[in-house]
Amino acid sequence: MVPFLGHGIGLRTKHFPDLLEQGRRADWFEVITENFLNVGGRPRAVLDAVRADVPVVLHGVSLSIGSVDPLDVQYLRDVRALADAVEPAWVSDHLCWGTLGRHNAHDLLPMPFTEESLAHVVGRVSEVQERLGRRILLENVSSYLTYAASDITEWDFLAEVARRADCLLLLDVNNVYVSAKNHGFDAADFLRGIPVGRVAQIHLAGHQDLGTHLLDTHDAPVPDPVWALYRDAVRRFGRVSTLVEWDDHIPPLDEVLEQAERARAFERAVLEGTAP
Amino acid sequence: MKLAELQGLLHGRITGTVSDRDEAIREQVLPRPPLDSLERVEIYARMYLHRLVDAVAEDVPHTARLLGHDDFVETVRDYLREHPSRSPDIGQVGRSFGAWLRTRTGVRADLPDLALLERARSEVRTALDAPTAAAAALQSLPPEELPSARFVFSPSLRVLRLQHEVRPLWDALEREGAEIPAPTPAPTTVVVWRLEYKVFHTGLSDLEAGALMVAREGGRLEDVCATFAGEPEPAQAAFRTVLSWFADGWVAAVTSEGA
Repeated sequence: MVPFLGHGIGLRTKHFPDLLEQGRRADWFEVITENFLNVGGRPRAVLDAVRADVPVVLHGVSLSIGSVDPLDVQYLRDVRALADAVEPAWVSDHLCWGTLGRHNAHDLLPMPFTEESLAHVVGRVSEVQERLGRRILLENVSSYLTYAASDITEWDFLAEVARRADCLLLLDVNNVYVSAKNHGFDAADFLRGIPVGRVAQIHLAGHQDLGTHLLDTHDAPVPDPVWALYRDAVRRFGRVSTLVEWDDHIPPLDEVLEQAERARAFERAVLEGTAP
Repeated sequence: MKLAELQGLLHGRITGTVSDRDEAIREQVLPRPPLDSLERVEIYARMYLHRLVDAVAEDVPHTARLLGHDDFVETVRDYLREHPSRSPDIGQVGRSFGAWLRTRTGVRADLPDLALLERARSEVRTALDAPTAAAAALQSLPPEELPSARFVFSPSLRVLRLQHEVRPLWDALEREGAEIPAPTPAPTTVVVWRLEYKVFHTGLSDLEAGALMVAREGGRLEDVCATFAGEPEPAQAAFRTVLSWFADGWVAAVTSEGA
């Protein structure tokens, strides 16, 4: 099983001066893999400085594991080279697709939850794990549409991918909440459908309510309903490395670190039996 | 519908390469009030454009500002039709924007050159690191090896051949409220590079540009010196230029046939 890293935050350019010149640190950092492939200069210097002090994980957005395109072998070589250099605690990406005909939409598009998709994804996860030389974590995405073809639930699909491909899961609690609201399912059913031993990381983030749907924006503090769902997740999955994502309208470092501390406090309260 | 066909349907609609097939989308994507099937796919289509517009704007902020928001969005929309993203790194989507802008009519004449300069500065900021060689690396070679010395340049060095003098424009755009100069047609060679984490650019004379081109294409020191043959004091002019490359941190290493 992967180690417990505590409560971390994403490594973002806005905070580079705090991290490089002031030496500020969280328990651990998650970096967007693609931002550091074949990169030097200040970003790489910050990554190396942070990595020298605390654990780092690589979180990709372009694996496109569900695409019918062939896997991008050069991309996987680059990810492996970065992983070999940085020695992350783990490597993760999303259970989605975004590329077709090598045209990258740079989005996390949902899969239809069907047996055909399942078989397709499982085969590709196995190949990716072989090429990267490690097990990967796959994250559930926020979604805004449901396919007519889907004949199993998202949580059953995730669980079955993890079981058949023997990979781990990154449970994004905000994404569960957003998708539950957008599609009208019960977030508690989602959590209950995810096998306990497979969840190696949790994501927390903020979103926007646009009236017609919730949009996963990562531009605000974690809202109360997501904190409540996080408490439910800790009750079910126990201590899991937790990370606060904040990607737009990024506030000062202290404000993001405060969210990580809040996650730590919620987790402690649940584990000590004092949480509501 | 098979997975491949379904992805083709959605991808085409979201990226704007397919505008019809509404009926197929209604069959494949479930409506859920208050949004129908097409509105649900449209959420992704809007995010696609905005995300990529933001990525290009990050490369060329001054170009975007000169165009104005609405024109910039429309310009990037047209650009993406010809240059869809082929890289896993969204930061690469704007790499052909400046060159493509040269083919677009109705934009300020020096805008493509400004975009090329901004993109080069963006690339240089995160280019791979390399050591910088001091002039001593050249001066310590045995005299008989000097003519055959070759230069390995820093991966962060970029050389731009521009059709306008855009450095004053870039300077003005860096200063809040400064007067924007009119386009100045003038073939110009501009070098962009990084020292530590700071990015610089400067113009080169035709002579310096010619010498740098020879050296970057693998020419030997004697070939570089030959480009100064028409100067009053060719050897001094050549060495002054070559030593400035070291002083500015452009040279990563020196090799020679005896090494």
